[in-house]
Amino acid sequence: MDIWNQLLQGFMTAGTPVNLLWAFVGCALGTAVGVLPGIGPATAVAMLLPITAKVDATASMIFFAGIYYGAMYGGSTTSILLNTPGETASMVTAMEGNKMAKSGRAGAALATSAIGSFVAGTIATVLVTLFAPVVADFAVKLGPPEYFMLMLLAFTTVSAVLGQSAVRGLTALFVGLAAGLVGMDQITGQARYTGGVPELLDGIEIVLVAVGLFAVAEALHAVLFEGKVVEHENKMSRVSMTREDWRRSIPAWLRGTAIGAPFGCIPAGGTEIPTFLSYAAEKKLAKGSNLAEFGTKGAIEGVAGPEAANNATVTAALIPLLTLGIPVSNTTAILLGAFQNYGIQPGPQLFTSSAALVWALIASLYIGNVMLLVLNLPLVGMWVKLLKVPKPQLYAGILIFATVGAYGMRQSAFDLFLLYAIGVLGLVMRRFNFPTAPVVVGMILGPLAEAQFRNAVSIGEGSAMVFLQRPMSLALLLVVLAVLVLPRLLRRRAPALL
Amino acid sequence: MNQHTTVAPSTRLQSIVGGGVIVLALGLAAGAVSIPSNAGYAGVGPNFLPWLVAVALLLCGAFMVYEARTGGFRDMEEPTGDGAPYWGGFVWMSAGLLANAALITTIGFIFSCALCFVLAARGLRNAQGQSARGLKPWLSDTVTGLLIAAPVYWMFTQFLAINLPGLTQGGWL
Repeated sequence: MDIWNQLLQGFMTAGTPVNLLWAFVGCALGTAVGVLPGIGPATAVAMLLPITAKVDATASMIFFAGIYYGAMYGGSTTSILLNTPGETASMVTAMEGNKMAKSGRAGAALATSAIGSFVAGTIATVLVTLFAPVVADFAVKLGPPEYFMLMLLAFTTVSAVLGQSAVRGLTALFVGLAAGLVGMDQITGQARYTGGVPELLDGIEIVLVAVGLFAVAEALHAVLFEGKVVEHENKMSRVSMTREDWRRSIPAWLRGTAIGAPFGCIPAGGTEIPTFLSYAAEKKLAKGSNLAEFGTKGAIEGVAGPEAANNATVTAALIPLLTLGIPVSNTTAILLGAFQNYGIQPGPQLFTSSAALVWALIASLYIGNVMLLVLNLPLVGMWVKLLKVPKPQLYAGILIFATVGAYGMRQSAFDLFLLYAIGVLGLVMRRFNFPTAPVVVGMILGPLAEAQFRNAVSIGEGSAMVFLQRPMSLALLLVVLAVLVLPRLLRRRAPALL
Repeated sequence: MNQHTTVAPSTRLQSIVGGGVIVLALGLAAGAVSIPSNAGYAGVGPNFLPWLVAVALLLCGAFMVYEARTGGFRDMEEPTGDGAPYWGGFVWMSAGLLANAALITTIGFIFSCALCFVLAARGLRNAQGQSARGLKPWLSDTVTGLLIAAPVYWMFTQFLAINLPGLTQGGWL
């Protein structure tokens, strides 16, 4: 079959010693940034974006993808062993995982989350293999109106649906869109908001915004507000699972994968909803003494399910990224930026125009998951030591890497001042509870959405009715409206769910 | 300030944040005036999105000011960390970052970043309330900073061929 041939080709490319090395370094680095507080996969990929100038596209995409899903493995280690969850994706893992660790079962929690991540990641990779080409075939038929609606859907979910407050989410989104406006207009070549500065004609570098908002803001927040915070580290125990643990984990992994994968496939992003849904499902299905462990001693299903859901979502999110070019999280948005640095625009044509690259990337997901299982089960003790890095050296060190990313992209010291300004902006956003993902997604996707919108309107000969006249675009518009309305109705009824 | 108001940022600050968004919106609108609207076949020209963004931000900003003045932002998460900000540390770290920006092209990546490391680490140590008197912490931070910055510099310039400024032309310092 065609898919298998291409996948085999992908394995040949991904399996060369150099690419294997990139995958390994990516996975190891990803695990490390997942474990370390204060730096996540989005920041790490952003800081390393300058390598796109020299390293070839396949190698660097394999490398970045390794960081992307490696961080999901590492993140659970931190949320189980520390009393603070590293990132939103592992918030749910932290609830039960921390309880398990407190009652001396840290090892079992780490094992179920690593193996669960592997199971879910691998199943989701199979889904990517099977469905991404199908979606790409379908997506070829979409025109500008449909694309615009898909992007609108991504904007809506990332800003108004996920997160606490719609108004703060929307503000963040429009700030991102404003940042994306700076530079040359894609269609007419008109300069906008450049203030006569020639560097700004190319637009603002995404590296600068991402590294400023995440890394610098995080360091400034730590020095301002977190000096006196003491973290309690839970005691490690032997990383192994009993027969009973396996019996309880396996169905939870599979259910978590089944819940997570569909959420990744639709351009409606976020790992919060699937992980919470998986947690709620596990709690509802638990009986007797297992149920009593939820919230007290820590139930293993409550770690296994959400952790699998998390990895399935993250892996399946590559489907909309690769086939439609629509990112729905910070990290996928920056991965899209990486593609753009190579002059590659992810979308349905990617599977024909850059087939070798895409299939090598997909093959590397299989390879990377195996590497990560090894890195995170027998070697977990090594990563736990990273939690002992003292905060002053950790954050000060992050600033050095931030400099590499910001300066390395354009070799301009001015960018470093801008980096500081964006860092202060990020600090304000963090303090006042603004989400950051809409800024990054808005900035990357904004110019593309604008171009699609204007092309769509010119197809409609100047009339915006074109969005209502085409069935597919009308359907998508209805989905956008549903996404806006339904969660609000559900939220009113659902507090009893958790 | 009494103890109760230090937990969440006060609503006065929230009004300022909302006001800041309004100012940004007005700035964008002022810029949008000078963008021509030659729409061609597209019906909307290059000035369409700028106006849309400006108006949307204006509405968001106004709504936030309204929220702030009627009891504060809604659905706020408990802020992490302890209440009172430690501005001393902020100044140290800012000095590190700005010195880095100002000096990187003159004294080179390694020394500039090491300086940034030392100043930022100093701020964080003070924030933790470490009694970091004497030369020892300064020395150890300088050594650590150099030990991080130098390999990073070599890795990026030698292996990945990314241009980072050096003190000399040799590429090792």
